[in-house]
This record gives sequence, structure tokens and C-alpha cells, in this order.
Amino acid sequence: MNLEYFHLIDRIVQLDLAERKITVEANVPQHSTIFEGHFPGYPLMPGVLLIETMAQTSGWLQIALMKFERMPFLAAVKEAKMRSFITPGEALTVEAGIEHEGSGFTVTNAKILSGGKLACNATLTFRHVPFPNTELRGHMEVMAERIGFPQQARADV
Amino acid sequence: MFTHKFKGLMMTSTFDRVATIIAETCDIPRDTITPESHAIDDLGIDSLDFLDIAFAIDKAFGIKLPLEKWTQEVNDGKATTEQYFVLSNLSARIDELVAAKGA
Repeated sequence: MNLEYFHLIDRIVQLDLAERKITVEANVPQHSTIFEGHFPGYPLMPGVLLIETMAQTSGWLQIALMKFERMPFLAAVKEAKMRSFITPGEALTVEAGIEHEGSGFTVTNAKILSGGKLACNATLTFRHVPFPNTELRGHMEVMAERIGFPQQARADV
Repeated sequence: MFTHKFKGLMMTSTFDRVATIIAETCDIPRDTITPESHAIDDLGIDSLDFLDIAFAIDKAFGIKLPLEKWTQEVNDGKATTEQYFVLSNLSARIDELVAAKGA
């Protein structure tokens, strides 16, 4: 993770298009300016960033299912639960699956595990649209490369 | 007896099911929702809330409301919002989608 740049996913571990599921690794950094304020003397991963982590995990699954042609944007968060504190240095496993694929929107269920134990979960709704510009698509391609997005899940290869 | 009850369930109209979904999803009093209600203009449902309704309708009827196609048609001036978002019309569209699925 690089919290300052909203890079919350480190590596795709498994992407199963048939089962519509994804598993990623996300390692909480030891140091971040975020922890200077949240909280002094008691650093914790903010809940909103844990939700964002689940959203990004869900997002990569959707991008794969939509063959890298459309970009999902988080639209609604439901039943988000922060079940335990997440602290600097923790190695997280994030899983997401598709609850529903609608027309122009997707609902996912996602969860974060730390040490094999459920730490957070949420139901997330996304709207998706064709990539609005080449700059964003280019950025997502760089990110895809960085986190090990499988080449076979790309439409143009 | 059972048959009669089952028949009663089957005869619950598409509109009634849609109205119940809208009432529960958007916290709108059920008795204010009529077949003539326009989901956007009369009930004040915005596009994000409509995603929740679409999700519930898709699941309840086993269909996929073609929201993107409808939106495109309205934006292109080929259709009016009334054709899709007045509830009697929405219910008719749902019946068509259910029938098409079974065909």
C-alpha cells in the first residue's frame, strides 16, 4: 500500500472469472503521514481507507470481467463493518465477489482478512462507464502491470 | 386450499411487487405509490436510488432491466422518461422482459 497515493492493492493473488471472485494482498505500511493524525500515539488504518481497499479490489474484478473496457466508480456502501483495528505493518488479504451484474452497475461483496480472521466486510455498489479518457485508462494499465493483473483478462491482447 | 393460495400469490400484479420494492428501498409510503406515479418526477427517486430498485427488481423477477439502453434512448430523444419510469409502463416493460426470458 502507498496510502498517500491511494495505492491500496499490492498484488492480485487470484482472479477467477468463472466464479467471479478475486483475492489480493495488501500490506499496511509501517509509516505513513496518515498515521500521524489517525491517531497520534495510536496509529490505526482509517475505516474509509479499508472501504476503499475493498472497493479497489472489487474494481479490479469488474475491470477483468468487463475486459478492461469500462471503469467502475464507487456509488454506494452498505453494511460496512470494521470488526477489528488494523495497524501499521499488518498483511491483509482482501477478497471480493459479484453479488449482481446489472445494466451499468454492479454490486459486490468484499471482505478483508488479517491473520486469516475477518476484519472488515461491506456490500458495495458501482456504476461503470467506458473509460472516460486515455489518461485514466493509461494509468489503470500501469497499475494493472504493477499489481500483476493477468494479461489474459485484457481484451486487447 | 393450497392451490388457491398459490394462485393468489401468482396473481400479485407486477405493479404491486414493484411498488412494494420502491416503498421498502426508498422509504416511501406504499399508499402514495400508484400505477400513474412517475418514479423520478412524482416519487423523487434519483438515479442512485434507482440502482437499488433495479437491483431488487432484477433479483425479484430474474431479469436485467436495460437501464443503459433506456437512458440512451431518452438522451437521444427516441423515448420519453414516461415510457420507462411511469410505474404502469415500467411494470409492462418488466412483464415483457420476463416473457422474453421464458420464450
